[in-house]
Amino acid sequence: MDNIISLDGIQFRYGPEDPIVLADLSLEIPTGKITAILGPNGTGKTTMLHIMLGLLKPSRGGAKVAGKSHKEYSKRELSQMIGLVPQFESIPFNFTVFEYVLLGRSPYLNPFQLPGDLDLEITENALKEAGIAHLAEKPVSEISGGERQLVHISRVLTQQTRILLLDEPTAHLDLENQNRILSLLKRMAAQGATAVLTTHDPNAAIFAADHFVLMNRGKIEAEGNLKEVITTQNLSLIYRTPIRVEKINGYTMVVMDTKEYHG
Amino acid sequence: MTKERYKRVLLLLGLGTLLVLVISVFIGRYPSPPGMSPRLLFEDNLARQLVLNLRLPRLLVAFLLGMILSAAGSVLQMIFRNPLVEPGFLGVSQGAAFGAAVSILFLTHHPLVIELSATFFGLLALAATYYLSTRIRYGGWVLRLILSGVAVSALFSAGVGILKYIADPLTELPELTFWLLGGLYSVTWRELLFVLPFALVGIVVVYVMRWRVNLLSLNDDTAFSLGASLTRERLVLLITTVAAAAALTAISGVISWVGLIVPHISRRIFGASAEKSIPAAMLLGGGFTVIADDLARTLLAGEIPLGILTSAIGASLFIYLMVSMGIKVRRDG
Repeated sequence: MDNIISLDGIQFRYGPEDPIVLADLSLEIPTGKITAILGPNGTGKTTMLHIMLGLLKPSRGGAKVAGKSHKEYSKRELSQMIGLVPQFESIPFNFTVFEYVLLGRSPYLNPFQLPGDLDLEITENALKEAGIAHLAEKPVSEISGGERQLVHISRVLTQQTRILLLDEPTAHLDLENQNRILSLLKRMAAQGATAVLTTHDPNAAIFAADHFVLMNRGKIEAEGNLKEVITTQNLSLIYRTPIRVEKINGYTMVVMDTKEYHG
Repeated sequence: MTKERYKRVLLLLGLGTLLVLVISVFIGRYPSPPGMSPRLLFEDNLARQLVLNLRLPRLLVAFLLGMILSAAGSVLQMIFRNPLVEPGFLGVSQGAAFGAAVSILFLTHHPLVIELSATFFGLLALAATYYLSTRIRYGGWVLRLILSGVAVSALFSAGVGILKYIADPLTELPELTFWLLGGLYSVTWRELLFVLPFALVGIVVVYVMRWRVNLLSLNDDTAFSLGASLTRERLVLLITTVAAAAALTAISGVISWVGLIVPHISRRIFGASAEKSIPAAMLLGGGFTVIADDLARTLLAGEIPLGILTSAIGASLFIYLMVSMGIKVRRDG
């Protein structure tokens, strides 16, 4: 199947009196690729991820995963198929990294079951894959922001889903940690996973993604490959600030057009 | 803490708790404080009657009470993601107190009726809290339940205040006051049988779901993505633990601080994962309450209400933990 998630004419509002967050939005997510959803803050990116996950139901229109609507799957089947790394995740109790990442095995256990040897082994491997095996016994409160994001991604790795939804996975991270996380995602996509990530940083999207979606005020402004979507005109329009797309040593880069201020 | 080490420490804790229970059988003011020698059981008929009919059921109820309050406290703290929550928090304690007061004033002083009335009103308060939380139109699940619990508690507490005001100061008020302070002085085998089904269901459900509680402590969107049926699973845990706490509160009166402080101590020793901290909290809470009840029956010639002792010890421990080690209430993410 070419497209693993499809949204068709989605409209969403939180209550009947509330403003419309997503308006008549249609989108196909290509299988086995990394799709970046770009747009300014407050434009409905998170809401759209929650609809893809099945956590929110669209007020109008329909969403399908692998050809079937969310309703046709059990909660357990969905959770074995789609993983989520939310933008904010507070862990109020001081689990160790290992204990937290092990929770990614929940979709394979019933509510009365304890994790078994296989689950422990998968968790160990996920920590190794993410390069944080040495943090296993550390409390989650004692690790850095970049390590924490790798911990969240390790949890999704243990979940072994075909689809990964990541909400601003590189926000607030320094360049080294951005690189670690996006490279990990690329490796996972190379092994056949489909990833959808939201970001307001176009350069992070350019580094990782195969498919680009530009969102603005609950609507899709542009969709396609790098050349089609990441243009000076498109980005300046949605970010409402002068922006230039440049080729630097063969890499496409998005820069603020500071000449407007200094020139 | 590694798995092997945890097993060893838990085994030690279990043996220690058993030792506390056995020693407690012989602690008391008969024939003179602090207790009797085991030999007396075979020689003195009165001692034997005392131990078999009063002390044994009372010890077991104290143990169950501590277990349930600690289990409920652990579960509530985790699913509300708030380390400062205890079972009294959803209106249950104040509801049960109101139920006992209603029985003492308007129905009868018969213990069984007081217990039934207290359990009924404790559960009614829980239902009212839950219903109210579904009617509040803003905030997440946690905030709505917290607000509803505060409001329902305050209403029942006002109700208890009114009943105390109109109670007969010579006949009704002393009994009501002593009930509100909490104690196990009236416990017999009948009371044990009354709470046993509630307590067993609560303990078994929490025990088998102990790992799952970790999942239910995560953010709603994460827990959902990991396949949890959030409302249903949280309700199963809430109803079974709080119903058990209500039934025990009905015979013990309001016993505070155990459900708050014991889960903290357990997490500090055994780590945050509920898989390890909840079984340990149940043993610690049971042992703690048995020791507190030993003190309640032995320290003074008249009995000290158990609720006063658990509050005094629990609050002191809480202050110690806060000042010396720092209980972390983290707001991050």
